[in-house]
Amino acid sequence: MKRWAPVVLGMAVIAAAIWLWMVLFPSPERAIRSRLNALAKAISFDSKGGLLTQAYNAQKVGEFFTADVDVEVDVSGYGPMSFHGRDEVLQAAAAARSQLSSLKVEIPDMNITLDPDKQGAKVNLTGKAMVPGERDVTAQEFNFFLKKVNGKWMIYKVETVKTLAWAE
Amino acid sequence: MSIMEPAATTTRWAGRVRIALIGRDPKRTLMRAAVLAVFCYIFFKFFFFKMVILPVRIEGNSMFPTYHDRGWNYVNKLAYRHSEPQRGDVVSIRMSGEHVMFLKRIVGLPGETVAFEHGNLLINGKPMLEPYLKFRSPAPKLAPVTLGPDEYFVIGDNRMNSDEGRIKRERIVGRVIL
Repeated sequence: MKRWAPVVLGMAVIAAAIWLWMVLFPSPERAIRSRLNALAKAISFDSKGGLLTQAYNAQKVGEFFTADVDVEVDVSGYGPMSFHGRDEVLQAAAAARSQLSSLKVEIPDMNITLDPDKQGAKVNLTGKAMVPGERDVTAQEFNFFLKKVNGKWMIYKVETVKTLAWAE
Repeated sequence: MSIMEPAATTTRWAGRVRIALIGRDPKRTLMRAAVLAVFCYIFFKFFFFKMVILPVRIEGNSMFPTYHDRGWNYVNKLAYRHSEPQRGDVVSIRMSGEHVMFLKRIVGLPGETVAFEHGNLLINGKPMLEPYLKFRSPAPKLAPVTLGPDEYFVIGDNRMNSDEGRIKRERIVGRVIL
């Protein structure tokens, strides 16, 4: 056992160093993934939080979008919607919060394609929304376009991908 | 001596059963079992249930009554390795990945023209028999759509509550088994 102790300890130190490196210097893909998961968390809400908490969280959604963001979505069952600019996105988020008692958003799949200069990215993702108490889950495929602004990945365009398309 | 014989036989058999179950060296057997368990876990979790058979939980009623909401099923990912999808196959269709997928029936094959009239499916202008249907579409007429060389037309069996449309071949993950 004593013979193996330095080897095990060495491996643990190397694993910890790799983990620390990945946390401190994440790859662009990892940073984008974590940013979009944070967005999903910010969009989600439940009825437990107070009004102030809810207002703060709704405001936090804006931190993920550029001021001139362009959102054109057509979610099955909800119809086409478009928002231009961060303020309209925030208004839509606030409206959703006032109409629903709670909402849980998840992004189970993300395919990230970085631009050659690594300053922009296209993310093809599946968004899954669940309203607790309702049986049906809404899932929709989207393309998110992000660019690096002051070291942060910001969303500047969102569009729907029609997985099942009637027209060409 | 003859009285002792059954007891000796019992002891011998008990020993054999013990050896068969836990081996001559229990420690080594335990180690082998642990290695086998780890191997099985890795094989099923990272290979078999990802590359061969994909367990899926159905949510929604678009395939009702063939498949029910909250039911479990399995997708054979190797089904179309050596053959192409056929009309009537129930397939899983990926979105951006395989964590959330559509479950639909193929009704139109590449190059065909698909249309609906009074709830009836028309392929190249001819009505198709759909024995699996219980609920027909309430839409009186939907414009014909001609599929491309690598496109399929899919729809749920519950025509009262189902999305439908054309999909590329690459989006078909596999065929539903049960």
